[in-house]
Amino acid sequence: MKLLLVDDEEKFVSRLAERLELRGFQADWATTIEDALARVSAEKYDIAVLDVKMPSMSGIDLKNRIEKITPGIKFIFITGHGSEKDYDTVCQEAVCCIIKPFKIEALVEQIEQAFKR
Amino acid sequence: MEKEIGKICAEGFTFFGKTNRLISHELKNILAIISETMGLLDELAELSENGMKLTPARLRSMSGSLIEEVERANAVIRCMNTFAHSVDEFIREVDLNEAVALTIQLIKLNPIGKAVKIEFLENGSHMIYTSPFFLENLLYHAFYFALSAAAAQKHIRVSLFADSNNAGVEISGIAPGGFKSFPTPPAELLVKTLGAEILPDSSSGKFYVVLPQKIPEGPAEALLAE
Repeated sequence: MKLLLVDDEEKFVSRLAERLELRGFQADWATTIEDALARVSAEKYDIAVLDVKMPSMSGIDLKNRIEKITPGIKFIFITGHGSEKDYDTVCQEAVCCIIKPFKIEALVEQIEQAFKR
Repeated sequence: MEKEIGKICAEGFTFFGKTNRLISHELKNILAIISETMGLLDELAELSENGMKLTPARLRSMSGSLIEEVERANAVIRCMNTFAHSVDEFIREVDLNEAVALTIQLIKLNPIGKAVKIEFLENGSHMIYTSPFFLENLLYHAFYFALSAAAAQKHIRVSLFADSNNAGVEISGIAPGGFKSFPTPPAELLVKTLGAEILPDSSSGKFYVVLPQKIPEGPAEALLAE
């Protein structure tokens, strides 16, 4: 299963990718919108894990751009924002939304569920 | 006057809430980095028990980044604490230099403050008698606008100026024609409350936030009246 992780916090996203690799996933990561779109154009991913708030574009806008390049790709959002309204809006756009910081098992469970859908 | 007081209070609460949201988001990001780093360390330690090589350099790099994140969190909390003390004395002597430095730290927590560089060219203290909280509120609006309207170089520069009657903040690096949307209605309300002026200089991509040495009588002072 091939994953793309996108978050502007490099230390967070690179370590998360490494931990997912240790669990048998193939996980690429990007810290900018441009890098994320370049990767999606070059590779076919099953699931994209996106930060909701990025410096130059929202995660939802990025999701819409990725969907045009890779129809059928599944999305999981991660966020440090916790308002219920924001959370509900984001959840409607993806398989689920996970609040930072989280246990990696929670993300792995959502990735596996998303892949089965 | 009552209507004005109501409006300025609502604007102040909005700013306070927004700032708390930015701070909590930043702290959650820091906690997420610490959590992933600790989780990875734990997993690498387990793998090393089963024969995988774990080098001292790798360990040092990870412990180093944990220290960096703790320092980052400490800086954010210091900023939060200074901001929270802005309402201790509602109107008082304020060092404009400190107010600008604090507000720049706050705007850097906003996603737009991470996409565009904002640089403060500090040149010493400038004391004015005003409302620190509403000053920070106005400066936040000004910096947010500047970052949103930045020229192609994506670099906003901030400096201070002062004379016997006024002190102020010069903000440069705005794109040509970028001044149409500022001041916004909330910024206009704060300008009026503080007795400030916004002076655009569109030919050089700059604008000035000019502040009186002493806040005029008005809604901010009326908030304190018994």
